[in-house]
Amino acid sequence: MNVWAAIGVTAGIVALAAVLAVVWRATNGRARSVDADRTFTPGSLPGLDGLAPGATLVQFSTAYCSNCPATRRFLSRVADERGGVAHVDVDLTHRPDLAKRFGILQTPTVFVLDGAGRLVSRIGGAPRRDELVAVLDRLDPLPEWSI
Amino acid sequence: MTDTAPKPIDSRGPRWVGGVTFVLAVATLLIALLIPLEDTLLGRILSPEFLVLLVLWVLFTVGTVGGNRAHPVAILFRLLVQPRLGKPAELEDPRPPRFALGIGFALTTIGLVLHASGVLYGLVVAAALVVIASFLQAFAGYCLGCQVYLLLVRGGLIRPKTPLLA
Repeated sequence: MNVWAAIGVTAGIVALAAVLAVVWRATNGRARSVDADRTFTPGSLPGLDGLAPGATLVQFSTAYCSNCPATRRFLSRVADERGGVAHVDVDLTHRPDLAKRFGILQTPTVFVLDGAGRLVSRIGGAPRRDELVAVLDRLDPLPEWSI
Repeated sequence: MTDTAPKPIDSRGPRWVGGVTFVLAVATLLIALLIPLEDTLLGRILSPEFLVLLVLWVLFTVGTVGGNRAHPVAILFRLLVQPRLGKPAELEDPRPPRFALGIGFALTTIGLVLHASGVLYGLVVAAALVVIASFLQAFAGYCLGCQVYLLLVRGGLIRPKTPLLA
């Protein structure tokens, strides 16, 4: 291959990586509404001992996920700040069966369950605060005193 | 249920490792595209593209086997860069970046074997994948372990160490 073609192909690969980075950043952490009727009951997932009246945030993590610890801190802070919201972390490192069952392709993935345990929204990647807050507000509007 | 997390590391270390990996992988790709595939096994093993990829392979192997902190670029980072940067703002679990080094090890191993076997573009494809992965890891904060681990476990290509617990 001549020099310019080789430089062109190499630059093309780097450009492809840059495009992937932009796409990944634009799509990561967005909330997606779920239409399928899937309900979780206490005990149906490891660590899901009960359901909060407002919403339960179920986070799926693995040991090889660098964004999971920060997401864990973020979601437990959100749960502390808002009344009636709980946070549960499910470790998938040794549970590929759960990843398969729920079609989880990346960690963290967050399932937002309503007070009845219905899956209303799922977020792939580290959740964006505004998206998560919008989902929670729709489920359970903030009481006056906490605004 | 959760494994006890090992001692956290300065998250800038793996970023620097990724950056140097990116530069070496770009160089490998460029050289491999410029030089035609040799006819003999010895010629292919002594070709510059094979030798540059071999350097990357050694770096990945040391990092995968010895851990992130044993990676030569990480050692240079601690000696030369870290003292000038001051205290890290963030510490991270060492397992995700080490997993990413393992992916690099696998890709470069495949590239070297294909090239030695005389497979046209085998090394080029492996180097291109390392370019893309290291770019995302070093410059976009992308975490390979967040997606690839689940895909590999779900596909049965790697098995979790402990048996499944109900």
